[in-house]
Amino acid sequence: MISIQETGTGWRSAGSVVARRLLLDRQAEFWMGELDPVRSRAEIRARVVAVVEETEDTKTFVLRPNAAWQGHRAGQYSSVEVEVDGVRVRRCYSISSPPGEALVSITVKRVPGGRVSTWLHKHTRSGDILRLGTAAGDFVLPAATPTKLLLLSGGSGITPVMSMLRDLAARDAIHDVVFVHHARSRANVIFGEELSELAARHAGLRLVLCLDDEPSAPRGFEEARFANLVPDFAKRSTFLCGPGPFMDRAERLWENVGASALLERESFAPTTAPARMVSSVEGVRVRLARSDRAVAAKGQGTLLEQLERAGERPAHGCRIGICHSCKCRKQTGTVQNVVTGEVSSEPDQEIQLCISVPRSDLELDL
Amino acid sequence: MTTQSKSLTREEADAFGRELDALRQEVIADLGKRDLEHIRQIIRTANRSEAAGRLLLHFGFGPLSFVLGTSALGLSKILENMEIGHNIMHGQYDWTRDPALDSLRYDWDNVCTGDDWRHSHNYEHHTFTNILGKDRDIGYGFLRVAPEQPWRPVHLTQPVVAALLALFFQWGVGAHDLRVDELFAGKQTPAELAKRARPFATKAAWQLFKDYAFFPALALINAPRVALGNLLANGTRNLWTYAVIFCGHFPEGVRVYTEDETADESRGQWYVRQLNGSANIEGSRWLHVLTGHLSHQIEHHMFPDLPAARYPEMAPRVREICARYGQGYNTGSFARQLSSVIGRIARLSLPGPKKTAKATRVVPEEAATPLTYRAAA
Ligand SMILES: Cc1cc2nc3c(=O)[nH]c(=O)nc-3n(C[C@H](O)[C@H](O)[C@H](O)COP(=O)(O)OP(=O)(O)OC[C@H]3O[C@@H](n4cnc5c(N)ncnc54)[C@H](O)[C@@H]3O)c2cc1C
Ligand code: FES
Repeated sequence: MISIQETGTGWRSAGSVVARRLLLDRQAEFWMGELDPVRSRAEIRARVVAVVEETEDTKTFVLRPNAAWQGHRAGQYSSVEVEVDGVRVRRCYSISSPPGEALVSITVKRVPGGRVSTWLHKHTRSGDILRLGTAAGDFVLPAATPTKLLLLSGGSGITPVMSMLRDLAARDAIHDVVFVHHARSRANVIFGEELSELAARHAGLRLVLCLDDEPSAPRGFEEARFANLVPDFAKRSTFLCGPGPFMDRAERLWENVGASALLERESFAPTTAPARMVSSVEGVRVRLARSDRAVAAKGQGTLLEQLERAGERPAHGCRIGICHSCKCRKQTGTVQNVVTGEVSSEPDQEIQLCISVPRSDLELDL
Repeated sequence: MTTQSKSLTREEADAFGRELDALRQEVIADLGKRDLEHIRQIIRTANRSEAAGRLLLHFGFGPLSFVLGTSALGLSKILENMEIGHNIMHGQYDWTRDPALDSLRYDWDNVCTGDDWRHSHNYEHHTFTNILGKDRDIGYGFLRVAPEQPWRPVHLTQPVVAALLALFFQWGVGAHDLRVDELFAGKQTPAELAKRARPFATKAAWQLFKDYAFFPALALINAPRVALGNLLANGTRNLWTYAVIFCGHFPEGVRVYTEDETADESRGQWYVRQLNGSANIEGSRWLHVLTGHLSHQIEHHMFPDLPAARYPEMAPRVREICARYGQGYNTGSFARQLSSVIGRIARLSLPGPKKTAKATRVVPEEAATPLTYRAAA
């Protein structure tokens, strides 16, 4: 699970207990933030130092994280948290810059109607503060760089493989790398100029751009063209990232030639899409992550009632949604608030058990 | 202004409740940056006021810096307990998902532990508001604030007891959830009480250490001055919160309910009870902020988990809805409500009067509402 890491692991030390008991920790955090908004003992914060327009719908945000940031490996992502109309919302973004630098970049494509990507594009400027999670993900280059590499991407999926390519370039480790990228048009190639420069500078790098608007070119990933362009693809350690349908098609090709073991993939699939909503609560499975138990809903009723019926004893008070004692973190799944009708499908959201009904299988932090 | 509330049938109460629910929805849909900026600004003011107060007390000399320092510290404690702590702990800012504003994580600068408060106040008092035998906030179990409470000779002392409670209010609040009265009634063993009291005792010890040892020690030669300043700041906060809370609950016109009346209450009837169990204080914007907007006790009891700074703009709408349903809306100046409370406490220290006619009768009928409130939780 991705979470803004509590960096205060030293809280257990006696000094910290005293500070907390004397309510000084809260004040220290406040004054630290007043003096410099990027400083914090509780959160990884980063100041935006530059915003670069990559293409018409993609921007790179260059960030300088505070001391709590522990770096990343090429290919990893971080959760990025912004305050959208007063509400903190988090999304994952792959880090597009190479590891080992003081500045960290994320490259964001604006999704029409998308909450966070649109907010970043419209409102985030140099000097603003974003909150990050620790870098995560195992879509990374192995410690020993494979001799033959294929980096295969489509659209904004270029971001993690770009971090890998930049890392290899910085370490002068580009020996036999094929970089195949798919985009709508040349103008839509994110990092286009830098890619051409790298290809010109490194003999070991072959750059292939597949553009939808080329005469008689197929749209997106197409097996015949691809096999023609990279005949030895099945022998290469491959890193794949792109839109869902693109990745599905590519994966099938690797399966068909029996080379899946060499294929690593990263999916940007939005985690916000409501899971198939069920209209009846009956049979919905609720997993209690902390106690490692699962409960099947029976008949109608709120989550609190369902859990109690199954013999669980979750904390609660008023049972009518006003005291917030029954608050709990929903890790995955969709619930509906019976008072407001509001549907919550984002991961890691606090819900009130006494006024929520399950609308899909769920995982709760209980 | 107090008018008698008309009794409502269950259907009428539910229609009343639906209008209030619609208002609630409207405000929830509008929550945003403005609310977050408001609470952050108050937090900033409280922290700056505290820093100014402490600097004046620690490094100042003479009476002027003492008075200013104590006032600034008292102001910060009032803001922190009322507009910040009380409101955050109600979950009014949970929607922001900011961990610093999280209801379950926040603990306030008060000897009462956050957990005890969330239980005795957020849950018990706000759910069972003014139900005799269930809401332990009605006179806190030892004051007679409603004629329906049976008179006992000990109530003769209540004018003095009430004044003492005002001075030591945070201790009353802190010990409230320990249910000491249940020890005397044989419903709790001394061992149970001791176990229950442990978190309170721990927090109280740290609070005493902070105010009367740690900060004075930091001030070296000014230690006595700092300790006295902290004592007066705490005392000011005690008097103020006591006055605000008593004015919100115990003036004339506020009524209590019996368990039978509310046994099968609907969500709409719950709203009616919240209205008839609360009273507002009129005043300026700063009065409202300093009371944590508990000057809008009626709106607070109807919408305890909406950001309190929204109550002033909701109040005219609530009042208009109440008027249409023939419900009284108890509001008055601070002086009026306070004198009403004092008069009531004095009068009820003596036996009688005969139970007054009920202002509202909520008639339970067989009608299921979408969200039936279950008193027997
Ligand atoms: C590990 C990981 C790494 C990622 N790295 C990047 C990155 O480097 N750059 C980047 O731009 N994004 C990246 N994403 C995607 C990103 O996290 C968001 O999903 C994306 O920015 C949309 O968020 P939003 O809040 O703007 O849209 P939302 O408000 O969440 O969604 C709005 C609508 O758009 C749809 N939608 C959401 N995301 C997508 C999508 N990716 N493709 C198509 N439709 C979508 C939703 O279903 C919804 O209907 C990554 C995701 C993951 C899981
Ligand atoms: S139990 Fe009180 S809000 Fe759910």
